[in-house]
Amino acid sequence: MNQFIIALIAGVGTGSLYAMLGTGVVVAFRGSGVINLGHGAVAGYSAYVFNELRTSGDLWLPWFDIIPEWGFLKTLRLNNLPTRIHVFDFEMYIGKPPIVPTVLISVGVSVLIGLMMHLLVFRPLRNAPILGKVIGSVGVLLYLDSVIAVNFGGQNRSSSGFWVFSPFSDPVENFLGLGGTIPRANFYLLFAAVIMGAVVFLLYRYTKFGIATRAADENEKGASLLGYSPQMLAGVNWVFSAVLAGLAGILFLHKTQPSLYATFIVGGLGAALFGRLTSIPMTVAGGLIIGMMSGGGVQLANNDWWPNWLEIEGVRTFMPLLVIILVLYFQGDKLPIRGTLSVGRQPHAPASNNVAVGTIFAVGFALLLSNVFVSKWESVLTAAVVATLFMFSLTVLVGYLGQISLANYSIAGFAAFMMVRFVGDGTLQREADYYIINGLDMPTILGFVCAVGAGTILGLLIGLPALRIRGVQLAVVTMSSVLAIEELLTKSRSLMGDGAAAIQPTPSKPTWFGQYIGGYNKETFRTDYWKYSVLLILITALVGVAVVNLRRGNTGRRFLAIRANERAAAAAGINVKNAKMLGFGISSAIASMAGIMLAYKIPAIQAENFAIFSGLGLLAFVYLGGITTGYGAVVGGLLVAGGMMPEFLNLHFGDVEKGMINAVGAVGLIVNAIVTGGEGVALLQSNALGKEPLALLRRNPDEDDAPAADEDNATEGASV
Amino acid sequence: MSNILETSGLTVTFGGLNACDKVDLEVPKGQFVGLIGPNGAGKTTFIDAITGYVPTSAGSAVFDGEDIGELKPHERAQRGLVRTFQSLELFEDLSVRDNLLVAGYESRWYSFILDMLYMPRKDQKVEEQIEWALEIMGLHDVADAMPSDLSHGRRKLVGVARALAASPKLILLDEPAAGLDTAESQILGGHLREFLDHDMSVFLIDHDMGLVLSVCDYIYVLDFGKIIAQGTPQEVRESETVKKAYLGEEAGEIQAQAGERMTSLQHDQGGQDG
Ligand SMILES: Nc1ncnc2c1ncn2[C@@H]1O[C@H](COP(=O)(O)OP(=O)(O)OP(=O)(O)O)[C@@H](O)[C@H]1O
Ligand SMILES: [Mg+2]
Repeated sequence: MNQFIIALIAGVGTGSLYAMLGTGVVVAFRGSGVINLGHGAVAGYSAYVFNELRTSGDLWLPWFDIIPEWGFLKTLRLNNLPTRIHVFDFEMYIGKPPIVPTVLISVGVSVLIGLMMHLLVFRPLRNAPILGKVIGSVGVLLYLDSVIAVNFGGQNRSSSGFWVFSPFSDPVENFLGLGGTIPRANFYLLFAAVIMGAVVFLLYRYTKFGIATRAADENEKGASLLGYSPQMLAGVNWVFSAVLAGLAGILFLHKTQPSLYATFIVGGLGAALFGRLTSIPMTVAGGLIIGMMSGGGVQLANNDWWPNWLEIEGVRTFMPLLVIILVLYFQGDKLPIRGTLSVGRQPHAPASNNVAVGTIFAVGFALLLSNVFVSKWESVLTAAVVATLFMFSLTVLVGYLGQISLANYSIAGFAAFMMVRFVGDGTLQREADYYIINGLDMPTILGFVCAVGAGTILGLLIGLPALRIRGVQLAVVTMSSVLAIEELLTKSRSLMGDGAAAIQPTPSKPTWFGQYIGGYNKETFRTDYWKYSVLLILITALVGVAVVNLRRGNTGRRFLAIRANERAAAAAGINVKNAKMLGFGISSAIASMAGIMLAYKIPAIQAENFAIFSGLGLLAFVYLGGITTGYGAVVGGLLVAGGMMPEFLNLHFGDVEKGMINAVGAVGLIVNAIVTGGEGVALLQSNALGKEPLALLRRNPDEDDAPAADEDNATEGASV
Repeated sequence: MSNILETSGLTVTFGGLNACDKVDLEVPKGQFVGLIGPNGAGKTTFIDAITGYVPTSAGSAVFDGEDIGELKPHERAQRGLVRTFQSLELFEDLSVRDNLLVAGYESRWYSFILDMLYMPRKDQKVEEQIEWALEIMGLHDVADAMPSDLSHGRRKLVGVARALAASPKLILLDEPAAGLDTAESQILGGHLREFLDHDMSVFLIDHDMGLVLSVCDYIYVLDFGKIIAQGTPQEVRESETVKKAYLGEEAGEIQAQAGERMTSLQHDQGGQDG
């Protein structure tokens, strides 16, 4: 028992981080009505900046030099975009630069990021539909994470934060007579979190700015009456929120790795929801509770009676998800998500009529490439096609049905691991492999079908909350499920076999109808075996046609009706719940196929292959290509890292890092959300855009502060 | 059983306020019944209650011989109890025809497989119903347009057409004439009674007294959530209670006498709903 209490208290450390991140999320939400999924990444960037200043004296600005220096462009001698400023000279400071200026500079970078988020992303998106805002915050997350990868290598850092916050700084022995030790840092961190919460709370309660923000939160006119422009308030709150993130990032640098901050946001979101996105004290409490639940859960998991298949790390990541689901379930519709009801303009989703021509053209093109360039290109081509196959799953779920799920790529990963398990026969697959795959020894095709089934079931489970939870809340839930799926399922040794937590060999001889269809070519030692390409192209084409046909039929119309207006959909006799489950089912089946096809291609898979940022990158590119059409997925597949376009750049212009590609994707994502409302490149040819492309650019700026331009939308909100 | 809809003691409470207070109301099969009342009387709430959009706190609703109190909104719609919305609520991303198709076709569990194979089920009856709905609401020329490209009035007509496309047994119209220009309200007014020839009964809410008095067989008057009067148009027009509660003002009197003129006099709350 004492042990358990100690474990609970030990969880306070992480809980304090959740509390601080949650506080920042609430601040941004109250100022702008946006739940910022990228808040943790802001903390991460500031933490890296701080660390870098302390270790090399360099200040890295939150972008990278995009001005190309390849090929003939080099001869133009364009100036570089400044990204790195050498601030501290080490000869002067012998060892570590002074702490106060370092902190101030890091916080200054947070201010800059806050301003960028407001001016470049969320202000332009202020009248966008929920989908657009969520996509904007996904863009922020992906962008910052990619820039971290480019500028700092995304590596783990030997800590250089404040020693008092280190878990190793002399622990408290026998706390309250419970025996055991507790890191002293936990108390400091708790103190810091409470102070931060108190300051924010008092600011909101007693300053004119805070009162205006609260007034704006309830009613935009309220703020105007107090003499503030809502957009100005939003800007200040964004900066404030980013500063809070930066401080949290610096304070926790000693406790954890800055590369993890982006995912720690899940706990922060849980905390913020616990505080109903308004109450700071409740948010702080929520963060601490989640932290303690994780600590306690891990302690329980250490016991003998704990079932083996529930991995300890999984317990830790599951707690935030659990709290989020419980809070959303019990507070349900009562959560004050501003503007949840006015759906706004959604990306246009036209039915296409020339499916046959488009398919023949695309398949022909793909086959042509695969035969002509049977070398480097084949592997790149199949990477693009797998991405396209996966993107079709998002076309159905996000494009047609309007459900923003960020967990689809985890479903793909889960299905891939399940496939390995289903066909595993207890032998060593390749001589180089370390692990044998024990499994059910199914024929490859049966394994494929069963794994798709398993992935679909998982998808339906993830879809369950969507029956009650909408829009950005669903994005929050699915984002937290990503981590839980990875730790609880994909990496679970008892479920997936010994290799699960590391590198899992894929079957070396997948055969369909007696034909070897693996991507690995034994003659060239590359992943360019042609039968694999043909099978992949075939499956992708079939799925693509099915997805496009779905839109042409009544099922697609029903999905779009639900996306537009659930109330009216029910009045038209649509069973909204069933239709949503159908959408999640179809979508996760497609995602599963993509995951399995990826596993056929490469000799081994890792849970990291399917980590959150890979999935977000794919979402970014399908959104860029066009989330609502089949063409969009094809275009998106060509754009992804590892796909055609970047590989082409690599070949001709030298190395382009994956991080850069993803950052470009993130920027494209945001721009696309602002300019086309998500219709994407693929729709440039359609009338909606073709007629008057400039109108779209003119559409947004400064129709500001006239929220009730469209009376119908205004009343829609009021009448529920 | 000759009533398509029958409510008894139907009560809806919003935090202490009875928006509908023990409403007893009957819609006989094949009849055209109207419900009038001043702004905020509880008319929309009544429709919300019988279509399952707000919970009732007491009373019962029987539709086509079945107690529908426990049914979900879509189940009521599937049984033929179809409403329109005062605040439009069209599917903005679907063309006008697609709006109607969504309501017209029911889905089976295997529909999605057929759709993926592009073997759409064409049902002659549904297609005819949709054509008729487009025709009668004068929407043929804009069938492939998006709702957002239409005038407010025509958007309202799309809402009515969408309800008609579902081949309802009882159609509930919530202020369909509000926001229509003269030509549009003539299209609507001139065709309302034709609905009865298509195996349906009609329940109409509107502020346009001329319209209500001219098309309805029977009228209920609601004020502060209570039925305060009912009868044939003639009786309602002459009822003292009604005059006091609703037509008391000069304007109302004149409008009532204007009878069949079918002007669309807007109450300025046109699209405001609760
Ligand atoms: N969801 C709700 N919560 C609380 N009160 C509500 C709600 N919906 C309606 N009301 C109240 O119930 C009463 C009846 O509203 P209702 O919309 O039914 O009136 P109405 O007769 O349709 O008016 P109008 O002619 O303006 O459309 C009003 O006082 C309204 O404010
Ligand atoms: Mg009303």
